[in-house]
Amino acid sequence: MADGTQVGHAWDRAEILSLFDPTTGVLDRRVLSDEALYQLELERIFARSWNFMCHDSQIPEPGDYFINYIGEDQVIVVRDEDGGVNVLLNTCRHRGNALCRAEQGHAKSFVCSYHGWNYGLDGRLIGVPGLKAYYRDEIDRSKLGLHKARAESYLGFWYATLAPDAPSLHDFLGDVGRTGLGMVCAHGEVECVDGIQKNVISCNWKIAVDNLFDWYHVAYSHASANTAGFMDISQILHPKNQMVMLGEYGHGIGGPGIPQEKQDQIDAMSDEERLAASRAAPPNSPRIRPSKAKKLMGPVGVRSEGHPNIFPNLWITMSGLQMCLRLPRGPSKTELWWFTFVPKDAPPALRRNMIWQANHVFGPAGILEQDDGENWSQSTSAARSLSSRALGQYIGMGLGKDQAVAGEQGEHYIESCVGEHGQRWLYRAWTEWMAARDWADLKANHTAPPTGVV
Amino acid sequence: MGMLEQVRLGAVVSQEPSLSERALLQYEVEQFLYAEAALLDARKHREWLGLLADDIHYWMPIRRTTTLAEVDREFTKLGDMAYFDDDRALLEIRVRKLEAGSAWSEDPPSRSRHFVSNVRILDIAGDEITVEACFHLYRSRLERDVDSWIGRRVDVLRRTDGSFRLAKRHLFLDQTVILSTNMSTIF
Repeated sequence: MADGTQVGHAWDRAEILSLFDPTTGVLDRRVLSDEALYQLELERIFARSWNFMCHDSQIPEPGDYFINYIGEDQVIVVRDEDGGVNVLLNTCRHRGNALCRAEQGHAKSFVCSYHGWNYGLDGRLIGVPGLKAYYRDEIDRSKLGLHKARAESYLGFWYATLAPDAPSLHDFLGDVGRTGLGMVCAHGEVECVDGIQKNVISCNWKIAVDNLFDWYHVAYSHASANTAGFMDISQILHPKNQMVMLGEYGHGIGGPGIPQEKQDQIDAMSDEERLAASRAAPPNSPRIRPSKAKKLMGPVGVRSEGHPNIFPNLWITMSGLQMCLRLPRGPSKTELWWFTFVPKDAPPALRRNMIWQANHVFGPAGILEQDDGENWSQSTSAARSLSSRALGQYIGMGLGKDQAVAGEQGEHYIESCVGEHGQRWLYRAWTEWMAARDWADLKANHTAPPTGVV
Repeated sequence: MGMLEQVRLGAVVSQEPSLSERALLQYEVEQFLYAEAALLDARKHREWLGLLADDIHYWMPIRRTTTLAEVDREFTKLGDMAYFDDDRALLEIRVRKLEAGSAWSEDPPSRSRHFVSNVRILDIAGDEITVEACFHLYRSRLERDVDSWIGRRVDVLRRTDGSFRLAKRHLFLDQTVILSTNMSTIF
């Protein structure tokens, strides 16, 4: 088949588990191209996982909605009259037409443009044209409501899952997922800035995800940002002070870590002193977090200036300024959605500065991001072609050379130089999610974050 | 010149410019826009910088699908998120990046074609002329990558030393989800 698929191949458990070997770091390239594996991902990863939907501030009033996806299933995320949030599959129960065709907005109810079926903000079917005259009053409206996903929030970030057997959002996130969302709120309660940048890249979604752990590519892929005078890459890399946190179910954080001695100095500062130091720092440097950040991020997490990935596909970047969803659109296509958050009480100049950074670093025209997409799409292409895909990919940097330790609150982390621990953790988790039949199976058969040599 | 400076087209003014005056200005504006497009297509980015005013604002807001009732929210506003929100310094960075020899998204370089059409002079105020146009930026890249960006733009051309400088370019793209790997080409 044109896209490198083994037609009709049903992947069994042993085969799936063999697709990534954490003892050698070799990844079978079919993971990035196989159509049957992709279909299985929609079922065993996206429909099973909790998926980021939107932030409270995007839908403040009853009737406010935002459209997002669970895998390839489009959902309406809507605030109802009671202030709750419902996540509804955007498909009419009659003939499947989409109810909501705008990306965001405000609605009193959702009326299908095909035959006029009308659904409430909670998904109940409240109106059917011709109920008496044509259906002879014999339709059970209570059974024909919109399909509702489970929705829960943490720190104002709404998530949804289509798996009835999924653990709570809190337990799914675990310490690393909560640290990641805590990073966004580390400077106080946030609001989402208006405008979600969206673009499509011809790559497998996982290569976009694993790249966020990759602090090895920055100096080379993004060299031109340096040459052009946009950003001093050496100031953000800290290649010898890297910290990787490993969370349950594949969550991870990778990137620069603040050394403990430096964190001790920060801890000794008052919040006023931190603010002053933060404002005196050069542009593009992460702001020094206030004392309350430790509670949100934990004593280890608060030392991270790296990139959390909340499994499967939510990247948190720029020390919490932005989030990027990597939405699957087939084995060789990924849609990137950028969300930007600023503290509600940010003074206008700080808000402007943060939005300036968000508008110029990432996104399709971002000075750094411009140069990522082609690398990813060409790696994806070479996961399709016959002889190239047989080669595997080698993700072995630092393998067996570093120690994972447990922090005082049970966090598992590695402090070392630049390496590929985060990528290996991601692909190991991916094989376990893909091999598991259901949540019970996944809970029983996944690798706990390790201590010792990794 | 004196007359044109006072004219707001569409408004009733005492001294309507003659057809030949309007045609001349239209010609002048169009020739400037075509010459500018030719510089970009010829990859003469540094020369292109020479056409920009020091206070240029180069902006492309984010567009999204809304219902007709909420169509006033179709574009993000100034100060919120955008695809481009650049001043001259940032555009110079973009050009230095293109010249760097390590801007992998443009090295090998793309082949671009800037089409400008439906040019209309909307306003003349002092030495500034506001021009609306449709644009079609076509990009062919590597073996078979093709991008096509179409939209409306509003430019402000300022008369400086006998020629024009581009003082504003606001780009209103027709796509909502950008169907491209990146936007590394100057619009």
